[in-house]
Amino acid sequence: MKQMKKHLSRVVAAAAMVLTMASFAPQAKAETPTFTVGWSVYAGWNPYFYMQKSGILKKWADKYGIAIKVQRFDYAASLDSFVAKNIDACTMTNMEALDMPAAAGVDSTAIIVGDYSNGNDAVLTRNGLTFATLPGKPVMLVQKTVSEYLLERGMVLNGQQAQLNKLKLINTSDSDIVAAFLNNKGNQAVVTWKPLVSQIVADKSVKSIFDSSKIPGEILDLLVVRTELLNTPNGQKFAKAITGAWYETIQQVAAGQANAIKYSAAASGDSVDSYKEQLKTTALFSAPAAAVSFTNGPDLQKKMDLVRQFCFTHGLLGQGIKSVDDVAILYPNGTIQGKKDRVRFRFNSAYMQAAQLGKL
Amino acid sequence: MANLSPFEIQARPNRLLMQAASCMLFVICMGLYMQTSVRRHHENPEDRVVPSLTQLAAGIHASVLEPAEEDDYIPADNASKWERFKHSMIVKDTISSGRRFLISLALLIPAVVLALHIGLYPWFGAFFMRFVLFFDKIVALSLLPILFIVFGIEEWSKIALIVIGVAPTMILDVTQMVKAVPQEQIVKAFTLDANNFDVAYRVVSRQIMPQVINSLRLNLKPMMLFLFAGEMIAASDGLAYRIAIMRRHMGMDVILPYVLWVALLLFLIDFSLRTLNRRMHPWFQA
Amino acid sequence: MVSGVMTPELHVASASAVEVANGARALTAAATAIRVDDVSMTYTVGRKGKRTVLQNISLEIEEGECVVLLGETGCGKSTLLRMLLGQEPPTSGSITVAGKPVERVDSRSGYVPQRYSLFPDRTVLENLCMGPETSKAHIFGRLMPGFRAFRKTVRAEAMRQLEHMGLHASDAAKYPHQLSGGMQQRVAIAQALMMKSRVLLMDEAFSALDPATRASLQRLLRSVWSETKPTIVFVTHNTAEALFLGTRVIVLRRESREDSCGSRVALDMKLPAAGMSLHRNGKEFLDLVEYIESFSRGDHQKVSSDGDDRDGSAFEAETTTVFPLDGETL
Repeated sequence: MKQMKKHLSRVVAAAAMVLTMASFAPQAKAETPTFTVGWSVYAGWNPYFYMQKSGILKKWADKYGIAIKVQRFDYAASLDSFVAKNIDACTMTNMEALDMPAAAGVDSTAIIVGDYSNGNDAVLTRNGLTFATLPGKPVMLVQKTVSEYLLERGMVLNGQQAQLNKLKLINTSDSDIVAAFLNNKGNQAVVTWKPLVSQIVADKSVKSIFDSSKIPGEILDLLVVRTELLNTPNGQKFAKAITGAWYETIQQVAAGQANAIKYSAAASGDSVDSYKEQLKTTALFSAPAAAVSFTNGPDLQKKMDLVRQFCFTHGLLGQGIKSVDDVAILYPNGTIQGKKDRVRFRFNSAYMQAAQLGKL
Repeated sequence: MANLSPFEIQARPNRLLMQAASCMLFVICMGLYMQTSVRRHHENPEDRVVPSLTQLAAGIHASVLEPAEEDDYIPADNASKWERFKHSMIVKDTISSGRRFLISLALLIPAVVLALHIGLYPWFGAFFMRFVLFFDKIVALSLLPILFIVFGIEEWSKIALIVIGVAPTMILDVTQMVKAVPQEQIVKAFTLDANNFDVAYRVVSRQIMPQVINSLRLNLKPMMLFLFAGEMIAASDGLAYRIAIMRRHMGMDVILPYVLWVALLLFLIDFSLRTLNRRMHPWFQA
Repeated sequence: MVSGVMTPELHVASASAVEVANGARALTAAATAIRVDDVSMTYTVGRKGKRTVLQNISLEIEEGECVVLLGETGCGKSTLLRMLLGQEPPTSGSITVAGKPVERVDSRSGYVPQRYSLFPDRTVLENLCMGPETSKAHIFGRLMPGFRAFRKTVRAEAMRQLEHMGLHASDAAKYPHQLSGGMQQRVAIAQALMMKSRVLLMDEAFSALDPATRASLQRLLRSVWSETKPTIVFVTHNTAEALFLGTRVIVLRRESREDSCGSRVALDMKLPAAGMSLHRNGKEFLDLVEYIESFSRGDHQKVSSDGDDRDGSAFEAETTTVFPLDGETL
């Protein structure tokens, strides 16, 4: 019996050790505060690659006495990491900002409104298919993303709202969507983004019937940080440093500086020409003033309302969310879209404003 | 006194302790999950990465009793639980995934018959063996664009992916089994006036059948893997489709029950194949 | 050759009158069951190497003989049996069984190997019925009308055969793995007999059994043979078994270890039809065993083996040396 007790206590001790190790493992500390920014391949985000390569990022980080790491992810993986709090800031669209971190209870703040899609996303069809004839035909797209949003907006703006539920969607991974669409003439419609759009329209039988330039400012590309960070001194330093670095970078890109374009194109493996073409349909807020006026302007709330309604009707806000107002949005002027006690997503133009005033 | 040292080969633990030991890891996993979930919910009450029990319950409720979002079915207010279940998301997805799975399974039968011929008939062996050996080394997923061209993006490309992924391995495996049938048996059959087809279908195939079923059991997981890969890449329904969609907004409360449901399904298929094997082949000495 | 061989049987004093009569009947039939004509077997080894296993073997086996093939491991006795079966074609020469040349394995011969002699997926009864049923019906034939009635008669026949082999009716539903090794070989013999083929080829059929079981199976085979007198070719490496079972013993031996040199017939000798055993023949039995084994070892007095002599003449020379000894023993 004694022996058994001894063994049991050993087993218990081992189990306890496993448990404690598991619970402490994720907590790491560092001397210089280090922040990680996750980004993924997209015309408006590729400059982060150049920002790091050119040393602009390091210059700004050193200025504030912090360290900033920039890491490339797959888009979905970057969002997962952000929600799991493995990274501190992440590039994402306004739609994912609502349905991923905000809806998962991670209070987040957009500190940079980088651009909006101005034709980067498009609805493409074969055989002269229009929104009126689209219902019932299979449409390939990555479901529950801005692609589906774009398709619905296209239907609504073309007076086909009643037909919405007749759409037949085929969720297709973006890595295979081009090959899958082009190689089979039976596929009649596809919704995707650049540079995939350019590859598809190279086939002359495919026409774009709708693109994001018809809904300017509805698909925003943001840099989002966790709100709790902005409440700490180091977090504020980080926000200032990354904003400063961003505007220095993006102005070089907008000015067409050779290296800036070259590295940004290389970030996604695109050719310089292809990248320039993508930039044409990306409405960059290269000057902080433009970004600030857009963020503080009255249009943003109307556009965000369309997006949040879409997220809610498609269940993107989660099973537990019974009302669209449960994921509330706070705007720079203090207005809240939704329930006051459930603010989960914020637009903060303070850092962009500081950049505008040269106070970074 | 039972010896409790884990490194004692000659230990003879009693039944109760054995049972307890076998449950241990399950308990630890659940404990770790609960602990992580509670800790995360303490920090963020709306955490979706590690859903709490109530969130999971809601997720299960939604998947078992509510129709899929893309469905037009709207349950009447007085619809019975069974009625709701029949139109639920999980039933719909299981049926469409199951259909693909079963069709692929059925398509493996000709593969097994082919393997029987390759192993037994020298000409078949000469004709097919090298090619199958080569084809087996092709990573099926990399053929996907070709499959899309040939089979379109609907059902058949997914089924083809499973079959192309699993069939060569299965053929090689079965060929080996056929070759392992003692030569004496085949000679004996011929001396009993069997013709070539008697030997193939009444002697060899009967003898390897239990091994073929065991091989199939081992291949269930690769099959499911290929099915999932196919559904995640292009689909409008199916278990993996739902998981892919739910991932877009971190619907772990639905994903986790789905994952467990798939595991349970696989276990049940495996278990029934094993039982079937034992019932059908009482002579088989594993 | 035939007449020379025949004499010892008539000399056998102890052989019962019945058996002598049987022998005489076999003699009058005088048909050749198996003819092996100048057969050689050479295997390719590796890229260029060749290894000759059998060299210029010629044999004639009459209907009703029980021929035992003896020899050391690797002397090619099993190879010869496989060639008789049709499992392997000879490199040169020809083999005729039951009047037709052998090209593939068919139902002319029954076959009892050492292991895997039964179909593990069939019960004893199914194993026994397999031959006649397959022969009659093949794969789709069982859908024919009249098959059920046929099956019924085959089953009855199988049950008779089963009991004849010393098994119980209750064993009929068992699977082979539920039987002992000896039982399995009994069923295997019965299975071969169900086909009623006149030639029975047995490859070390009893070698894996324990001595007691082995002895009882030898007695069984002996009695089976004396009842219907099939032609049996029995491969073994056990000389005592050979003397007990055989009416004729053939020793294969390789003259040198070189690859180019295959085995030849070193000894071909008739035995009394009654079978010999230590129990019955005592010292003489032991002497004969020693004598035969000296051939398979190759250290017998090299009086008669003048190298390149054709097998036939060597055989005659050897048999003549044997007779006095044989005569003395009996």
